[in-house]
Amino acid sequence: MTGKTARLIFWVGTLTSAAIFLWQTYDFHMQTPKFTHTDKLTEQVVAGKKVWHKYNCNDCHTILGFGGYYAPDMTKAFYRLGENNIASIVQHPEVMYKNSFRKMPHLGVSETETTQLVTFLRWVGEIENRHWPPQDEKFVEAYKLRESQPQKLDKVHLVLQACGGCHTFENQGRNVGGDLTAIANRITYDRQTLINYMINPQSVRPGVTMPPQDVSPQTAGIIADFVLSLKSNKEVSK
Amino acid sequence: MLIEYQSQRVSLWYFRLALVLFILQVIIGLWLSINYAFTLPQELVNVFPFSTAREIHTNTLVAWMLLGFMGGTYYILPPECGRELYSPKIAYAQLIIFVAAAVTAVVGFLFGWTRGKPLLEIPFPLNALIVVAALLFIANVAMTIIQSKEKSALQWMLLGGVTFLAVMYLFGMPFYKNLNTDYYYWWWVIHLWVEGAWEVVTASIVAYIIMRVTGVDRKVVEKWLYVETGLFLFTGIVGTGHHYYWIGAPDYWLWWGGVFSALEPLPIVLMVVDTWMHVRERKNPIVNPLTWYYIVGLAIYHLVGAGLWGFMHTLPPINYYTHGSQITVSHGHLAFFGAYALLNLTIFYFAMPRLKGINKYNDRLGRWGFWIMTIAMFLLGLVFGIAGILQTYLERFLDIGYSTAHLTMMFWFRVAFGVGLVFLAGVIITVYHLFTIKQSNLPAPEPVVTPAANI
Repeated sequence: MTGKTARLIFWVGTLTSAAIFLWQTYDFHMQTPKFTHTDKLTEQVVAGKKVWHKYNCNDCHTILGFGGYYAPDMTKAFYRLGENNIASIVQHPEVMYKNSFRKMPHLGVSETETTQLVTFLRWVGEIENRHWPPQDEKFVEAYKLRESQPQKLDKVHLVLQACGGCHTFENQGRNVGGDLTAIANRITYDRQTLINYMINPQSVRPGVTMPPQDVSPQTAGIIADFVLSLKSNKEVSK
Repeated sequence: MLIEYQSQRVSLWYFRLALVLFILQVIIGLWLSINYAFTLPQELVNVFPFSTAREIHTNTLVAWMLLGFMGGTYYILPPECGRELYSPKIAYAQLIIFVAAAVTAVVGFLFGWTRGKPLLEIPFPLNALIVVAALLFIANVAMTIIQSKEKSALQWMLLGGVTFLAVMYLFGMPFYKNLNTDYYYWWWVIHLWVEGAWEVVTASIVAYIIMRVTGVDRKVVEKWLYVETGLFLFTGIVGTGHHYYWIGAPDYWLWWGGVFSALEPLPIVLMVVDTWMHVRERKNPIVNPLTWYYIVGLAIYHLVGAGLWGFMHTLPPINYYTHGSQITVSHGHLAFFGAYALLNLTIFYFAMPRLKGINKYNDRLGRWGFWIMTIAMFLLGLVFGIAGILQTYLERFLDIGYSTAHLTMMFWFRVAFGVGLVFLAGVIITVYHLFTIKQSNLPAPEPVVTPAANI
């Protein structure tokens, strides 16, 4: 090979690749509104993104798979956790992760900032990114199903989505309020009391730390059936 | 005196500061592994969270790498141009600005002063200082080259590489409203650095060192340099697409990103082949075997860490499961160490003895450092790899939840902490050796005259 050929390889290689890449960049900008729903990219979402940066969330959590690998990915966090759970975690991590092997710092995020952050995460969740991450796809499906046909929802998904922020079930969820199977075997409530308990815990057991749950009586009914079924299984097996 | 030009001396302070930051980076890295391996008290996490430690770990990495590149450039530029640097004063001013910005950034991180954008956390005022330092650097390099009587391909390649590096940094500075666009341009910095600009700088510096030490003909070395950088940029630029699979971008990225990035190991293979050939066809005897360990080690480790480890999970069907897991951590460590830490150490072992007027140095400690570091880092890569495969399998295949997967991985992070301690020992030995490098008692072999064209 002569020096001239080598130079030719350098220039042709570099310039072709750069040309293709610049064209792709142009196309990327043309298509981004479709893939990321920029019509829903409101000031509130941008404010939420600033909160995300301000507390350096991204150096522990990945988002779109980028960032620190120390804590769960946040791309579909809105579907996995729901608005209320995100808010409780962000504002009281020391309570939510009291029993966890891994802690989240108490960051002092204000209530306004929390709302903005949730709005941001809701918008991020809607980015059409080929169903990544794989482990959160079930939550996305469960969320969409819950909105369209709550009666058809897989009970486990429903329960985990709603209760998994504080309770565990078969090693999933967050161990703050105890395991659902253990609770099912401890409680003596009937179906209606359990529904009332979920919607307003204080009305059934004054002084309990569980906060009121923002669920419809219908959904609460599905959850109550599920929890009570855990109990009967245990008794039968005995 | 072994250096030909007095202004080459400016590089010594770049190297020293780089080595200090290297030790700091590794110590913080050990702290990160403790975060993974054990449960820390909430009070400690509130004050010094993982995120703060991680930004220090990654920013000190980038800072010491850049210091090494800039120092290395200042070291090789005068002999390559046949004249003194345009201005050693600018070189020192630039160093002071850069280090002041870096130190302020690290202290600022401890108090939560951050942009919260991974690897590019430095707040705007400090970023502006970095830009000033970079402009001074490029101006100094460009003026030295323009005013030199000798022109060579290597000079232009080096200037092109550092300019490309600086320009790409600018894309990381604005605030992007759209997260997907934010990360699109984030990779212009990160990917186009490590698989673009940094490779060009590496290839140029390695070409220079090989040419000077082996006495292989300049024409041959420069020919390889053209082909390698051409292939690096051909595969690397479009290869950026392997980061765009899951950010919400058109389908064609899967193909373009997948195919081009799968070709990325090719230029590294060429690099291994040409290093090996040049060592075999050397015209000069080997004076310092340790410098050769580093040159050959760099080529091989570069191929394994960046090439092989990167290739393993670059194709979309695999990447769907491995993206954003500890497998990325494994690849990141092996690639940065194999390609860039070893490159910087090669420069240091080439330049630092010469700057002290030592021809053949005593390398007993340095050999220990070399083997401890390279083996420990490889083990660390394997341990992270095991943790990553566990995580991917448990969390994304069996779907048993993040916490359970991470609990299972804790054991492997305890192992990583142990291996990390050994690595730190290797780093301390190496840095101590470089700082106190001494003339060897053994006689140096008679050097064969370097071909005139190489000087």
